[in-house]
Formats: sequence, C-alpha cells, structure tokens
Amino acid sequence: MKVIKSVLKEELVNSLRMKCDYQRELAKLPRGSLIKKKIRGREYCYLVMRENGKVKFVYKGRLDADEVKKYKQVREYRAKYRKLVSELNEQIKFLQGILRGKKSIQSLH
Amino acid sequence: MEKSQYNLCIKVLRRLDKSGILGQIVLAGSWCTLFYEKYFKSVRYVSMVKTRDIDFFIPEPRMIKQSVDVAELLKDMGFIIGFTGSQGYIRLEHPELIVEFLVPEKGRGTDKPYKLPQLGLNAQALRFMELLSQNTITVEVQKMRIVLPHPVNFGLHKLLVQQRRPNKAKSAKDLQDAERVLRAVVEKGETALIKKTFGSMPKKWQSRIKESIKSIQENGFLEFLQGHD
Repeated sequence: MKVIKSVLKEELVNSLRMKCDYQRELAKLPRGSLIKKKIRGREYCYLVMRENGKVKFVYKGRLDADEVKKYKQVREYRAKYRKLVSELNEQIKFLQGILRGKKSIQSLH
Repeated sequence: MEKSQYNLCIKVLRRLDKSGILGQIVLAGSWCTLFYEKYFKSVRYVSMVKTRDIDFFIPEPRMIKQSVDVAELLKDMGFIIGFTGSQGYIRLEHPELIVEFLVPEKGRGTDKPYKLPQLGLNAQALRFMELLSQNTITVEVQKMRIVLPHPVNFGLHKLLVQQRRPNKAKSAKDLQDAERVLRAVVEKGETALIKKTFGSMPKKWQSRIKESIKSIQENGFLEFLQGHD
C-alpha cells in the first residue's frame, strides 16, 4: 500500500509540474489563427485573435506556402497542448481525490 | 495499464528505432519489467507497478555518432521539454509518458547533467548503472528489437541501489521489484546465473546486496547468496 501511495504521489507531482510546462509552451506559441480573405480576386492573409473581448484582425499580406504551413502547425500544436492540459487536469483531479482521503486539496500542494 | 500509454510507448520506441538509436540504448527502469513478460513466458510472472517515467540508459554516450534531435523527433506526438532538479536535467514530457536519458557515473561523480549534443539533450549520470549493460537481452516487440538488462542484473541492481534511496517508499518498491524479477529467474532455472553475476561483483556491492536481501521479509529468499563470496 505504501508503495502504491508513493507512486501516486509521484505521479501527482509530475502532473502538476507538467501542467505548468504545457502552459509555458502554450504561452510561447504566437497568438491568433491565420485566415485568408479574398479581396478583388486576390487572397490576403490575416491573423485573427480575440483581445479584450473583441475580435481583432491583423493584416499579414500575401504569405508564401512555408509561412502558411508554419501558422497551421502552430494552430495544431495549440489544439494539441490544450487537449493535453485538459487530460492533465483530469489526472490531477483523480490523483488528488485518491490521495486526499480526509485531507483538504490545499494540504497536498 | 492503459492501452493508450502502451501504444504511446511503442510509438516512441518506433521513432527511436527509425532514427537508429534504439539499438544503442538500454531500456531501464520499471518499464523494462513489462517487456520481461516475453522473457518469462514459461514461468509465473506479472510486471510491476510503473510510473510514467521511461528511462533509457546509454552505456557508451560517446559511441552515438548519429545526430538526432530527440525532442524534435517526438514533438508532433505532444512531447515537450521539461527540466527537473536544480541542475536542469532534461526530460521529454507527455501526460502519459516521461522520457529520460541516463548515463553511467564515472569517477567521483557530479550533480551536473551529462551533455548529449548529438541527441540535443542532457542525461543524468547515475552510479552502478553499468551493471545494467553488462549482460543484456533483446526482446522483439512489434518487429522492433529492444535491448533490456538481463533480469538477473536488473534484480541485483535494484537490491544494490535501494539502500541509497532517501525515499523509503521508493526503496520498498525497489525491493519488491527485485524480489519479483529474481523469483521468476529462480523459477526459470537460472539460479546459477544469479550466483555467477553476484560472484563477479566487487565485495562492497556484494555486502550491500546481502543487506538488502535481509530486509526482504520472506525467509529463504536468495539465501544461497548469503554464504557466497
């Protein structure tokens, strides 16, 4: 029992640390999603993001395929990392629940 | 164990295999006990409780010639770089798996991470690790050849390091792991190999192992080593 409890505690510490690491990685990713607008038959790229509750478009002009690919990749990573953070949140909740017993959640931090 | 965790482990191994470094590293830590199931097909054996940490031991770090950015190799699977300890050991993190690299500690030892520029990482140098690479076995998993420490070396290594653990629960886990693996070795009829490996160890290591065996509650476990020099 002692061994299992220690493994679970280690896993909880790992999950908490990993959550911070993923949030750090998310903060590093450039903000916004790339969209294309067709104006007078030509395509122009914009970065669309939310700022203070408002949707903001940042003009990027005509980008080459490599740059478009880079923005697409960033978007994919952001979605992936967010999904993994929510997985970690579930793990943390589960592990804290098991380890808590009669103790409060705060005492585990 | 969750299937998704096992599948992720296989994916990591496959990437390392394709990049050409899997053959030069030894899968160490509790994850190798899972693959021992293939070695102990004929005897009763159930693998142990595992953490998410999957440790890869590099016996000869200087012998790795190919340049592989391991962090980049696993990035699209969601792995990110994390740092542990005050010295900043790199580990590759994923909610289901944490990949770490280990190298043998030489000389007086140091707390500083061992740089692995060819892999774009650093590794933790640990004492007694060379015991794990002295005798290895290769198991085939999904058409990949994975190098593992021989179960005898794995078990004796656990008995050797458990006394150095500051964490008592980890030390107890080491004892349990060692007992389970070595019991399966005895059941498989490889007692002579335990004696031989034990006999080839320095006297200091032998007495440490004997001490560890005494703390295993069940009487008679590996008692043949007590009188062995």
